[in-house]
Amino acid sequence: MKIKEIVYKTLISGDSYKTLLRGLGVTVQIAVFSVILGSLLGIAVCAMRRSRIWPVRKAASLYIAILRGSPVLLLLMLMYYVVFASSHVSPTFVAIVAFSLHMSAYSAACFYSAIEATDKNQVEAARTLGFSKYQAFFLVTLPQAAAIAKGTYQSTIVTLIQWTSVVGYVTITDLTRVINNISSRTIEPLFMIVIGLLLYLGLSYLCYGIFALVDRLSSLKEKPLKKTPLKKEASGNEHDSG
Amino acid sequence: MSMIRVENISKSFGSLEVLKDVSLTVEKGERIVIIGESGGGKSVFLRSMDLLEVPDKGSIYIGDDELTSPKADLNRIRRRVGFVYQGFHLFSHLCVLDNITLAPIRLLKMKRAEAEEKALKLLRMVGLESKKYAMPDVLSGGQKQRIAIVRSLIMEPEVMLFDEPTSALDPTMVGEVLATLRLLAKSGMTMVIVTHEMSFAREIATRILYMDEKGIYEEGTPQEIFDNPKRKKTRDFIHKMKYLSYKIDSRSFDLMQLQGSIRDFASKYGIGEKKAYRLQLCTEELIYEMLDYGKSDCVDMSLELSFDEKEKSSLIRLSSKGVEYNPFEKACDGLGDGIHGKADVSVGGDDMVHLGITILKNTARRIGYRYDAGNRENLFEIEI
Repeated sequence: MKIKEIVYKTLISGDSYKTLLRGLGVTVQIAVFSVILGSLLGIAVCAMRRSRIWPVRKAASLYIAILRGSPVLLLLMLMYYVVFASSHVSPTFVAIVAFSLHMSAYSAACFYSAIEATDKNQVEAARTLGFSKYQAFFLVTLPQAAAIAKGTYQSTIVTLIQWTSVVGYVTITDLTRVINNISSRTIEPLFMIVIGLLLYLGLSYLCYGIFALVDRLSSLKEKPLKKTPLKKEASGNEHDSG
Repeated sequence: MSMIRVENISKSFGSLEVLKDVSLTVEKGERIVIIGESGGGKSVFLRSMDLLEVPDKGSIYIGDDELTSPKADLNRIRRRVGFVYQGFHLFSHLCVLDNITLAPIRLLKMKRAEAEEKALKLLRMVGLESKKYAMPDVLSGGQKQRIAIVRSLIMEPEVMLFDEPTSALDPTMVGEVLATLRLLAKSGMTMVIVTHEMSFAREIATRILYMDEKGIYEEGTPQEIFDNPKRKKTRDFIHKMKYLSYKIDSRSFDLMQLQGSIRDFASKYGIGEKKAYRLQLCTEELIYEMLDYGKSDCVDMSLELSFDEKEKSSLIRLSSKGVEYNPFEKACDGLGDGIHGKADVSVGGDDMVHLGITILKNTARRIGYRYDAGNRENLFEIEI
């Protein structure tokens, strides 16, 4: 069987699958750290973008505009060949820095527009009830902004995962690099590219799955709370009749 | 002890001065209704009482807390004041019950069960207990507003401020919100209401403020303000509220606009759908009759509609300049001819042409006509 031979040649012989998994691991590592660090930085940039002080606001907009307007590969090269050129840090670390910056600009823009899209009148209504500015933000604006931002944020992450495929340029052996290496060594590019596509697809779906799971969990957490008054009421009625 | 004391506040937006040196004292249990033209500073004045607008000058006290003091604990003082908006502003991500219980649980540290019990009691009061798990976006405007009122009430405010609470509502839903306000009034709540609902204002207010010229232009009991306003602008405003005036100076006048204002007028006085339609119909027929057969070279008509709340009847008054012409008499003649057996095609045709007059005759309670020769005016009074 030809397929069997191809699978053996590309994945099994010489423990290729281990190399493949290692590459996948590097991709996941860069993506996960970049998403976390980038989102945290993004929150900070978003806060600056909403600052009352004009220069801070302007600086944040400029940061977002520049980082969103430049190719992530150039950013990566800038980090690798210029910024970290003389320091002995691992290329993976450099990639995480570059992708975090990239992610921070996109997530800041995403968070900012989501917050802007919420209804300011509801915040004012909360203030009239006696909530502080911060309480109003966390209880009213944030949950609504999160719902608005979710879709864009999710696709930003998936795009980021795909963009990490360029780290091979700076000597990192990630999933794409491994696919490339194996396919040129075995001269079976089609098979390996399909494997690569499936793995990236898998990562994307994993990401969607995590979001769906978080959604499910948070709605489960709310439901029992909403059910309590029903029972309370029923028992109250019993008391009345008794 | 006064509930709210506003002392000499002024407020400008850029170069536009909205309030100038305005003072007001609201005693406990008072129900104050603020009326006035749009853009007259009513809302800004009301909003400043909860410091939603910060006055440039002057001070505001809630009880003995000074709201305008830089050291004021705004969040604590605001709990004493309930505010209801024209646009409801319910928290769109929370169900009705959570909308109501959010503040007592977080701010008064009330137990969830206790807060929900209290919320349900209030919901029962406004007849919306069945909607407790509904999300705001599935509710009608009237329901949203009643829930917004409950959301404020659960904090047990000492005074409630209402900023045009029925202006964003369909005419059919105004009633349910006004009923809720009446309920509150009955419970002795101190209220300050900005509204355009004149009959409601008259019924519920202990004091009416008419705002104009950047301040309180005239104040008094509902009887004083509505029946016997002292100052000119108040008189004009009240007149405008009671009467719908419209000038027609061209054959191609804006009929749609007129019909629209008649609709608005009707809904303001709670005139029913059917009656409002009749009012529109009769006005239109009368105007066109005079336009088409009035035999005058220039068009100069003025229309005035009014509504008598006691008699539940509306009055159309039309004056049309030109030579004497009474369409009702003429149509009568035509009809008479027909009865006398001389009916021919032309008479039938004439009757068809003056169909509007036939409609008017069948619809109106009373039709009056008079010709003022001095002013060369045909004067009509039609009661519906």
